[in-house]
Amino acid sequence: MSTTSQKHRDFVGEPMGDKAVTALSGIGEILGRKLEEQGFDKAYVVLGQFLLLKKDSEMFTEWLKDASGANSRQAASCAQCLKEWCDAFL
Amino acid sequence: MSLSEKSVEEISKLLDEYGIKHGPIVDSTRKLYEKKLEKAMENAPVNTSSDKTYYREEEEEVTYITYHSPVRHEGYADMLKRRGNAESDEDDESDQDTEPPIQMTNRAANHSTVRSKEPVRKSGGSMWKAIRMLLLLAVLAAVVYYAYCHVINNEENYFGVQ
Repeated sequence: MSTTSQKHRDFVGEPMGDKAVTALSGIGEILGRKLEEQGFDKAYVVLGQFLLLKKDSEMFTEWLKDASGANSRQAASCAQCLKEWCDAFL
Repeated sequence: MSLSEKSVEEISKLLDEYGIKHGPIVDSTRKLYEKKLEKAMENAPVNTSSDKTYYREEEEEVTYITYHSPVRHEGYADMLKRRGNAESDEDDESDQDTEPPIQMTNRAANHSTVRSKEPVRKSGGSMWKAIRMLLLLAVLAAVVYYAYCHVINNEENYFGVQ
């Protein structure tokens, strides 16, 4: 994953504040809705899960695939973007 | 007994046993860890056998200590204490080679079970490696020196003849 999407750069470029879960790269409308149904309505809630898994991208992608039905690419993209955000702001 | 019926402590212990790094086991992470654990258990039933060796070793220690105290339970407690001591000692003496043989047995028993002790063992291993490397280097230097002297002598002889 050498190239990053505009969405990824937008997310990683600033504190996530109160952004919706769909602001995460890899999470679109449909996946976002599925996550919201499970209580993951904000990006920071997903960040919480990422941190609970000790920033383990592998575990996180597995969880995201399970929880939202994301495919590997989408899940990896989301994990990457959270990881970089943590590196920058945590 | 399924994993979902186990307590958080049990799950956490199992994860440790299978060498799976994990964070807190809470509602949102538990299912994930259970799955991971299930997979690990399918792939590596070997772990249970290593547990058995652990118990065997432990028994050896118990019989050893009963020489000192007639009561078996006391011996066991004593052993636990000794193990505790050995563990703390080990950290201090990890760079010492000369340990009494008893402590060596304790050490071996600990290695097979206590994962957190691995770093200590590693440092000992790397030290040994370093010593072996030094020895090898010394031998190599000796050989090179010998060869060098040989060549010099030959050259001198050669010039001497001329």
